[in-house]
Amino acid sequence: MATTTQPTQMTGATNGAVIDLVYRLGDDCLIIGHRNSEWTGLGPILEEDIAFSSMAQDQMGHAQALYSLLHTLGEPEPDHLAFLREAKDFRCCRFVALEPFGEAGSGASEDLRNNPDRDKLLTQGDWSLSLIRQFLFAEAWAIRLAALSESSFEPLAEMARKFRGEVKYHTMHGRIWIERLGRADADARQRVQAAIHLLWPAALGMFEPTTHDAGLARAGVCPSEAEACRKWQTDVTGLLAEAGFTWPRDAKPVVGGRAGNHGPELARLLASMQKVYRLAPGATW
Amino acid sequence: MDSQWKIFEVFHQSARGEPHVHVGSVHAPDGDTALMLAKEQFGRRQACVNIWVVAASAIVATSYDDADMFEHATDKSYREAFGYETTKRAKLAGDAEEI
Repeated sequence: MATTTQPTQMTGATNGAVIDLVYRLGDDCLIIGHRNSEWTGLGPILEEDIAFSSMAQDQMGHAQALYSLLHTLGEPEPDHLAFLREAKDFRCCRFVALEPFGEAGSGASEDLRNNPDRDKLLTQGDWSLSLIRQFLFAEAWAIRLAALSESSFEPLAEMARKFRGEVKYHTMHGRIWIERLGRADADARQRVQAAIHLLWPAALGMFEPTTHDAGLARAGVCPSEAEACRKWQTDVTGLLAEAGFTWPRDAKPVVGGRAGNHGPELARLLASMQKVYRLAPGATW
Repeated sequence: MDSQWKIFEVFHQSARGEPHVHVGSVHAPDGDTALMLAKEQFGRRQACVNIWVVAASAIVATSYDDADMFEHATDKSYREAFGYETTKRAKLAGDAEEI
């Protein structure tokens, strides 16, 4: 196990605050990565299927790296963090766990590919929700990484600098789609517009404030969630306006995820994602 | 309106200064989208520093029916650089290194 200078010595922020931050970052990446991977083999066109799956792999890679960092800070091993925790232990925002099928959250998406209701899910499922969520998430992740690259907690800063190339592609992907779909026919435009309005309140929940915000900002570990949210809103609404889309002006953020309060969709996701690992924890594959 | 996307041919460069090599094609509505999609189709498995995409419709090609015009009716091996002594020696040295 690599030895890492403890965050408290390095930054002045408490270890607990930094550990909570890294859990939030890692869990967001793992859960959106898993959700996006559910489209593998089912994407709207071959090329986009591969691009979307590839970004899902990037996100799971980021989660694994962040979990490894947690391990150096005394937390359990990455596999344990991904496969043996309950929903209440996850610190991801609720946005990343939403099911893109039917009315958001009402569809049962457990293991889509092997699901006997696969055809039904495919008919009801809406790729626009996953695509727009990925666009909104990538913009947020890019903003976080830009700030974290300058973090006073050097192991995190180094990791953020490494991730930025991949995420440059993620924002390129999202921006190209938003811009093109803004010029597309009425059906495509309406689907995207509906997805933006449906997802917006949960998207704001990416920036759910935590009790650690002020301490982390003061110690130069990362900016407060409120500050990141302002930057994200400026960037994203600029891109949406340019593409001719609107967004809710007075949406109430969907929060709770950062405190471990999730909807039933996260438990369903974990049941699917953790199923094989839990058959024989610790087995070598 | 044609509902099918256009075909773009993809050229991949493994390092600066190396030639761009044709590696395949993607379907896309325009060049920027083709680049975005080509990056993951062809840039994710091997070293890559640059990608070109070219609309297949922009490529002017000979016909396979005319392939006979490339054939030499008489011996023109003197045109092949391999005929030169230096090239031969370089090739031998190269082969020796490979062994």
